[in-house]
Amino acid sequence: MKHMRIAFGLAAVGLGLGAVAMVGLLAGPDEAGDARAVEAVLASTSTTSTTAPTSSLSGGLIADDARWIANERPLLADLSPNPGRAPTALRIDALGIEAPVGAYGVDRLGRMDVPDNVTEVGWYKYGPAPGEPGSAVLAAHVDLAGPGRGLFFDLDELQPGELVVVSYSDATEQQFRVVARSTYLKTELPLDTIFSRSGSPVLTLVTCGGGFSRSARSYDSNVVVYAEPVETTDTTAAAS
Amino acid sequence: MRKLSLAVMTAVLAMVPALGAFAQTNEGEVIVVHGVPDLLVDVYVNGDLTLEDFAYGDVAGPLALPEGSYALAVYAADADPNADAPALEGSADLPAGAVATIAAYLQEGGTPTLGVFVENNATIEAGSARVTARHLADFSAVDVLANDGAVFEGVTNGQGGDADVPADTYNIKITAAGDSGTVAFDADVALAEGTNTIAYAVGSVADGSFQVVTAAITGLADAPAGVPTGTAGLAATISPVVWAILAVLSVTALSGSVAVARNSR
Repeated sequence: MKHMRIAFGLAAVGLGLGAVAMVGLLAGPDEAGDARAVEAVLASTSTTSTTAPTSSLSGGLIADDARWIANERPLLADLSPNPGRAPTALRIDALGIEAPVGAYGVDRLGRMDVPDNVTEVGWYKYGPAPGEPGSAVLAAHVDLAGPGRGLFFDLDELQPGELVVVSYSDATEQQFRVVARSTYLKTELPLDTIFSRSGSPVLTLVTCGGGFSRSARSYDSNVVVYAEPVETTDTTAAAS
Repeated sequence: MRKLSLAVMTAVLAMVPALGAFAQTNEGEVIVVHGVPDLLVDVYVNGDLTLEDFAYGDVAGPLALPEGSYALAVYAADADPNADAPALEGSADLPAGAVATIAAYLQEGGTPTLGVFVENNATIEAGSARVTARHLADFSAVDVLANDGAVFEGVTNGQGGDADVPADTYNIKITAAGDSGTVAFDADVALAEGTNTIAYAVGSVADGSFQVVTAAITGLADAPAGVPTGTAGLAATISPVVWAILAVLSVTALSGSVAVARNSR
């Protein structure tokens, strides 16, 4: 009898562990859509957006329209970053997220500076605003010791096709549609791609994920969602 | 405090994008600065007219050129290049991937000359800006201050330097070296992140033609080092290694149960 109980016990443990293991192994990679395609678009762009015409030297005079602007002298103040259209709010209905967005730079360790709370999303102010050429990065905590769950706690559940809405400082809005999601080990995060400042406009949502180290109080991965602007049709012409 | 004529910041126009556009093609880029007062010129590069009616204070560029050596000739605009001598001539070596400034400017004492300066277009760390100052004016040595702190000291005619600083707006002053009371320039300047803002001091302080003109090399910023957005561990997932161990343990337990069941018969 004792042997049978041992047998049943071991079998129960085995089936239990097996079930758990099966769920884990079958859960699949934490990817959706074609993140590699988005990365390739951001990485392959060259900085061809010059602000002055260029020309080759072969053959005499440059055409008039290629002459450099030698006689207009805007004040140096024009070199300052154009505040323009900064993002001010983010809404993701599929995840029930609605939050203000603030402009953030770089922290003292050279990483993107992020809000020290779970109520605000940070926008990397040195990159483009969402919708401008390049990757606009919006980051928020998955969680924070103390407050607990962060605004992007469920970011890894956002699926391709779902909509993200950004509001701006000029009272306009822009919709973006999720095209891909990927989890990267932090040591393999494609930083130059995610923070690219040229190329097609991409909205990039970033948070932490993956395994967690209690001693380091940090995750080993980043969850990244890529979204592209939804083309808006101009209905004003039809109205007239 | 003896204030000399306050120069007005001018000529931002040469905005030079970073390396990427021409790194593949063994080209460099050139910025051209006209720092000789009262002289309208035509600029010839390798015998080809490249800039026409180029005036004092003008900054032109960027011009993409294949790497190599270039003959430069600056003629007064009303001169005949086939008959008259150039006002200035010289040569420039342009390395691939480099951004160089070609400047006509006054030496200390007032003699015009031509100079070539290779600009710093190396990557700038995230959140920082680069400021470059070039002393191309008929004046003695100067100090360049940012927010009243010296950034460059004792810079003489023909010399310059660059420094990386946190991106911000700074009050920039150019003063006589060691004499902060003798101010040639004083203005608030935005030093944009990822940009090398190059300031050229040109002209003559004594006759009031002194001014500072600028160019900018953009797109030099590095990406930040990461995005730290989680410290509580509530969203932690289990690694595949752990799943695999669980799978092995489950198989072991199940086979053990079969063995015990067999032996118990």
